[in-house]
Amino acid sequence: MASLMRQSCLSAFRAPLATRNAVGVSQVVAFHASAKKQILPPQPQTIQGTMNDPAPIPKPHPSHGSYHWTFERLVCVGLIPLTIAPFAAGSLNPVTDAVLCSMLVLHSHVGFQASIIDYFPARRVPKTASLLNWLLRGFTLTTAVGLYELETNDVGLTETIKRVWKA
Amino acid sequence: MASLRTTSRLLASSRSLFRPATFARSYATVESGSEPAPQIKKFQVYRWNPDAPSEKPKMQTYELDLKKTGPMMLDALIRIKNEIDPTLTFRRSCREGICGSCAMNIDGVNTLACLCRIPTDTTKESRIYPLPHTYVVKDLVPDLTQFYKQYKSIKPYLQRDTKTEDGLENRQSPEDRKKLDGLYECILCACCSTSCPSYWWNSEEYLGPAILLQSYRWLADSRDQKTAERKHAIDNSMSVYRCHTILNCTRTCPKGLNPARAISEIKKMMAAH
Repeated sequence: MASLMRQSCLSAFRAPLATRNAVGVSQVVAFHASAKKQILPPQPQTIQGTMNDPAPIPKPHPSHGSYHWTFERLVCVGLIPLTIAPFAAGSLNPVTDAVLCSMLVLHSHVGFQASIIDYFPARRVPKTASLLNWLLRGFTLTTAVGLYELETNDVGLTETIKRVWKA
Repeated sequence: MASLRTTSRLLASSRSLFRPATFARSYATVESGSEPAPQIKKFQVYRWNPDAPSEKPKMQTYELDLKKTGPMMLDALIRIKNEIDPTLTFRRSCREGICGSCAMNIDGVNTLACLCRIPTDTTKESRIYPLPHTYVVKDLVPDLTQFYKQYKSIKPYLQRDTKTEDGLENRQSPEDRKKLDGLYECILCACCSTSCPSYWWNSEEYLGPAILLQSYRWLADSRDQKTAERKHAIDNSMSVYRCHTILNCTRTCPKGLNPARAISEIKKMMAAH
């Protein structure tokens, strides 16, 4: 009863406000909050446990956590001299070329993997996430095989870039 | 009893409704002897009413004379609530940037309404939204349940196995104390976390800048003896490593803190261990 009273009193109260112009309330603009083409639209709010329980933390997994991050950073930092060296030195060395290729493959694999974890989280879309992960593994393998071919049967990555640059 | 209360509320509200606006004055207004030329500014405020869930959220425009309003956005909001529309809902408490209640998105930036000056350019309207990507309780009030639950999950308190030698308080050298500067000032307003795209996509598992800043506050504390356990607990792909150094957190922090630096310190600590 009380809430019913309050409801009606609120609406009765709002009605004159909407038409009142002099004091301040002038217009009510329609608001488009929900885009139709969202890839993963937000879900209704769910709270795990009670309000006072701590939020669950995923299980510790250093090979997906700190080791993974350290490895990724080392590859990143290593790529900087490896990218500059062959062009600066001006000489072709199959070993640096091979190292550059393998690190590039690792670097791009880890980068795309991060995008998949960010945008297609396994807790929300487990099937899509694993499909994309296997797709990524396939692409990485194909790239690796392609680069191997380029290195062994052709002129190598650095020389290819040089030729394309000068073409 | 309940009906009695609602009747009295009805009476009270209708009285304020019919009172001429010029006589209405709140603590947010500024008294002036001679009437200066009005400086009318438009405020567009996000409105959504949980009592009418089928209605879409909308932007409602309010007009205020800046000459009669205090300098801050919170003054404007309080004046709108007191004098124009009592149904407007927002959180506020200390009005001096120490409680973190009035965190909202003002003109596209997450900030505290009480620390945000009203732009004096009256040709442009100010747009006020609740914190982005939060579940809205009503109007400008976001639901921070997950945020607080995550705060609890990092055990934000001193953990020790042993007592001090003299059995008195846990002492700390001035140098060790200095390591906590820029960390302990955080008021948990959630401005940084809700500005982080990574937190938008993965707030169920990623802790977000505010909570990670607090996590680092306890990792960096020389008196805490559970550093290894703390580091191990968040050593997974989601809790910390969804941070991609976007730096929205540092850019938006209304207290001028640097959560991104704290997160990279955590990453360095975890890599070394």
